[in-house]
Amino acid sequence: MLLNRESSGERWRKRRDGKEKVTGELRYLTDMTAEGMLYGRVLRSSHPHAHILSLDTSAAENYEGVVAVITHRDVPGLNRFGIAVPDQPALCEDTVRYIGDAIAAVAAITPEIAAYALSLIHVEYEVLETITDPLRALEDNAPRLHPQGNILHRTQVKHGDAGHALQNCAYVVKEVYSTPRQMHAYMETEGGLFIPEPDGRLTVYAPTQHGYKDRMQIARILDWEEERIRVISSPIGGSFGGKDELNVQPYGSLLALKSGRPVKMHNSRMESVRAGLKRHPMKIEMETGMDEYGRLQAHRVRIVADTGAYATLGAPVLNFATEHCMGPYRWEHIDIEGVSVYTNNGVSGEFRGFGGNQAIFAMEGQMDRLAEQIGMDPWEFRMLNRRYPDDPGPLQQEIWRTNGLEQVMQALAQSSLWQRREAISVLSVHDSLSDASSSPPWIKRGIGAALAMHGAGLGYGIDDPAGGRLSLNASGQIEAAFSYEEFGQGLITTLEIMLIDLFHCTGEDISIVIGDTDRVPHSGSSTASRSTTMAWMGLQRLKSPFLQAILQKAHDITGIPVDQLTTGEQGIWQITWEDDAEIRQKRVVSYREIAAAAQGNEFVFDTKFSYPTTPDEVVGGHFLYTYAAVAAEVEVNTLSGHVRLLDTYHTVAAGPVINPMGFIGQIEGGSVMALGFTLTEDAVMEEGHYITRNMDTYMIPGIQDMHTSLEVDAIEELPDNDPFGPRGIGEIGSVALAPAITAAIRQATGTWVTHLPVSRDQLIRRAGVWQQEGVSPR
Amino acid sequence: MKTTSIQWQAVINGTVREIEIPPSRRLLDILREDLDLTGTKISCEIGRCGACMVLIDGEPMNSCLMMAYQCEGTEITTIEGLHGETEDALHPIQEAFLEEGGFQCGYCTPGMIISTKALLDRLPQPEEQEIKEGLCGNLCRCTGYGGIMRAVESAADKCAQRSSLIPAVDS
Repeated sequence: MLLNRESSGERWRKRRDGKEKVTGELRYLTDMTAEGMLYGRVLRSSHPHAHILSLDTSAAENYEGVVAVITHRDVPGLNRFGIAVPDQPALCEDTVRYIGDAIAAVAAITPEIAAYALSLIHVEYEVLETITDPLRALEDNAPRLHPQGNILHRTQVKHGDAGHALQNCAYVVKEVYSTPRQMHAYMETEGGLFIPEPDGRLTVYAPTQHGYKDRMQIARILDWEEERIRVISSPIGGSFGGKDELNVQPYGSLLALKSGRPVKMHNSRMESVRAGLKRHPMKIEMETGMDEYGRLQAHRVRIVADTGAYATLGAPVLNFATEHCMGPYRWEHIDIEGVSVYTNNGVSGEFRGFGGNQAIFAMEGQMDRLAEQIGMDPWEFRMLNRRYPDDPGPLQQEIWRTNGLEQVMQALAQSSLWQRREAISVLSVHDSLSDASSSPPWIKRGIGAALAMHGAGLGYGIDDPAGGRLSLNASGQIEAAFSYEEFGQGLITTLEIMLIDLFHCTGEDISIVIGDTDRVPHSGSSTASRSTTMAWMGLQRLKSPFLQAILQKAHDITGIPVDQLTTGEQGIWQITWEDDAEIRQKRVVSYREIAAAAQGNEFVFDTKFSYPTTPDEVVGGHFLYTYAAVAAEVEVNTLSGHVRLLDTYHTVAAGPVINPMGFIGQIEGGSVMALGFTLTEDAVMEEGHYITRNMDTYMIPGIQDMHTSLEVDAIEELPDNDPFGPRGIGEIGSVALAPAITAAIRQATGTWVTHLPVSRDQLIRRAGVWQQEGVSPR
Repeated sequence: MKTTSIQWQAVINGTVREIEIPPSRRLLDILREDLDLTGTKISCEIGRCGACMVLIDGEPMNSCLMMAYQCEGTEITTIEGLHGETEDALHPIQEAFLEEGGFQCGYCTPGMIISTKALLDRLPQPEEQEIKEGLCGNLCRCTGYGGIMRAVESAADKCAQRSSLIPAVDS
C-alpha cells in the first residue's frame, strides 16, 4: 500500500510528543538546568597519536571560578568505556590515540571560565606516528595502538571453493568499493545534566540509546553499585546510533561527584565532530562470477574497515557487513574475509544500517555490473539469482521464513518509476530522438534500483534482552513502561497506537513511561531496528493477564459477568452480542475506580524475554530480516558533475504498519540520510585531524536537495503463523538508496561509481565530446 | 574575563525585557541562558543549520550570529511567542507541522517553524521552489524534508483560510 496521510485513515495520528515539540516547550536533556549548576568542559588531545609525558592542571585548579578539575587520577573505577569492548579511556593516562581523546575536564561557574581553564592545563606530548591508513596499521612495523595489536576483529565465511570456481566462471566482475566517514549529524549535540542527589545517588540526564547500558558503564567507571545511578535518557534530539556509546557521561558524572554540584555538559558542534562516532569507512573488494546463463556461482569478498582508535561496536559492525555482503542471493561458493582495524582516525562505530550500507552498496554494484555484462535487465538478473524463501540465511543459519523478498521485488518491478526505465534507455540509444521537454544535451537522466535484506536484533550470541511492564497506575491510566528512548523515531506514538489497538481506549487513558532506569524495567536497547517488535511482543504477552485482572475487578465492583466486560474509553464497558457482533452498551466502571480498588501490585505485570534468534550457533547471525527494494531516478549535469535525485520509490516488507506517520518519516528520513552518504557527506580527515568540522563543510542534504517525489510502499502481509508482529524499519530506509543512485548514474552517463560520496569530477564531460565517448546524450 | 555590561532592552514575544549583559553576548545565549527560552535551539553555532532561528523585526535571523548590541531595541519573536488566536492555541503553522508529520526528533522544529512563519508572512502562497529557498537555511536530519514540505504547503492553506475568515476592515 502506498503510504500517505490519505491511505492511513485513522491510523494517521498526531505525535503524542508533538505539541510540545512544535511549541518549543519540550525540554531536551541539554536544555535542562539546575540550581547552583556548573559548566563542564573537556580537554581533548592536541595530537591524533602521542604519549603524554606530563600533565599539569594546577593553574586551572587555582583559577577563580573553577570548582573541579579531573584527570585519570580521579577515576575510582575502570578508566575505560565501550559497549562491547571497554578499551576507550574515560581520561587518558599515558597515551592518546585520536584527537577526540579526553585528557582532563573542568567544571566552572560559567562556560567561559570552563573554556578558559582548559587553556591553563599544560600537557606535554611526545608525538608518535599517526596511522591514517588501515593498511599501514596492518603492517608488521606499524606502531601498536593497543596491547593486542591493531586488529580489532576478523570475520570469515567460506563454503565451496570460490577461488577455483571463479576461474571457471563465464563472467567475472572484480571491483573495489569504498565508502565515506559519514557523520550522524544529529541536530542536538551530545550533552546532559549530572546531579549529585542529597541521598548519595547520582542522576544522569543524558541522551543514549540504552539507558541501562549507560548505567552499567557509568557505575563501572565510578566503581559504584548500578542502582545508585539513575539514567534519564529521553527525549533526544536525534541519535541514529551515534549516542549509543557513552560520550559526555563519564565527565559529567565525575565532575558532579567531585564538585558536589550539578554539572551541565553540552558539546559544541566542533567538539561533537572531533569526539563523536562516525560510520566506518570501508574498502570492499569483490570478485563475483556467474555462469553463461547468468547464474551466480562464486563470490570472493575482502572487507577492510577503519574502526579508528577504539572498539565500541566495531566488531559487531564488521559482523553485520560480512553477513550482508552476500545479498539476498544464492551462492555455490563463498569466500569472505573481513578485518576491522584500529587507526588514529577518530572512532568509528554504530550508525543506522550498521555496516549494511557499505556492504549493500558493494553487493548491488556487483549485481548491476554482472547484469550488464551478460546483457540482462538488472532486475530480471536479481530475480534469477534471488534466494528462495526456504533457503538458509546468508551465514547458512536458520532464519524466519517470509515472502518479503519476493514481494518487494515484484512491487518494484511494477512501480511506475521502474517501468519508466526502459523509456529512458530507448531515448539514450536514439540520440536524435527529440523529447518535447528536452533538456540541454549535458543533462542526462537515468534510473537504477537496488535490493536489501536487512537483519534486525543484535544477532546470535549477543545478549539481547527484551521486556516491559503493563499496569493500571494510581491515576487510573493504562501504563506501559519500557526502557526505550524517543529520539524522533516515533516510538511514543507507536506505543500509544498499540495500546489503543489492544484496549480500544483513548490516548488520555494511557500513560507511557520510557527512558528512565528508575521507572522502567530492562527492555534492552533502542537499536538494531528492534524496539517496535519488542514492544509489540511484550504487550502481546502482557495483555491477557492484565485484562483478566482488571476485568475481574470490574466484575467484583459491578457484578456483571466478566464475559460481558471489555476495556474501552475511560473504563470498562458492558457488551452484548447480536448476530456475532459485539455491541458496546455503556461504561460501567472507570479505570480510576478500578485503580482505587487495587490491592498492592495487583495490576502490575512484567514480562521478560529475548529478541528471537536463530537456533544455529552463528555468532551475529540474524533470525528476522526485513526486505526492501529501492528505485531512484537521477539527473546528472555533465558540465558541473552535479547529481540531482528526481524521484525515489521505496518498498518495504516489514509486517503491519502500526504508525504510518512514523513509518513514512523513518523511510523518507533514512532515504535522505542515504542521499547524503551517496552524494555529499564525508567527514574528511588529514593526518588524523578533521578537516570537516561543522555543518558548513559537512554537507548533509538540505531541503533544496529533496527529490520531487518519494513514494513509500509498505507491504504488510506476513505468514499466517507469524508471531513477531511489526518489524522495525528504522534502518532499512537508509541501506539501499546508494546503489540505486549509482546504477542510475551509470544509465545516465555510462560511468560506474565505486567510491562514495560520488565525485563530481568523475561525471564532468567536456561539452560536445559525449558522442565520441560513446555516452549518448538524450 | 571582565567585560563592561550594558543595559540591554528588546521586546521579546511582546514583552519588554531589560537585562544587564555584555554588548557582545550572543542573542542565542540571552534567550537560552538569561531568559530561559530554550525553545530556540543550539546546534552548529555558525549560522548554517537554522536551529536557533528567531524573527527580528519580522526577519528570520540566526540568533547564534547576533550579538546583543546588534539587536538592541528590536522586536524579537521566538518559538515561544508563536500561537494561534488565543495564547493557548497553536498557530496554523504549528498545527500543520503536527498534522503532517513535519518533524521527528523536533530539535530543528522551532527554527523550521520560525522560518516558515517568515516565509508565509512574505509569500502567503509559495511555490515549491520558494518554499525550498525560504527553508534552505534550516537543516533537518530526521525527516528528509518530505513531511516539512507537506506541512508548509498545508500551513499556507490554513493561513489563507484563516485570513479569508477575518472580515476586511476599512482603514
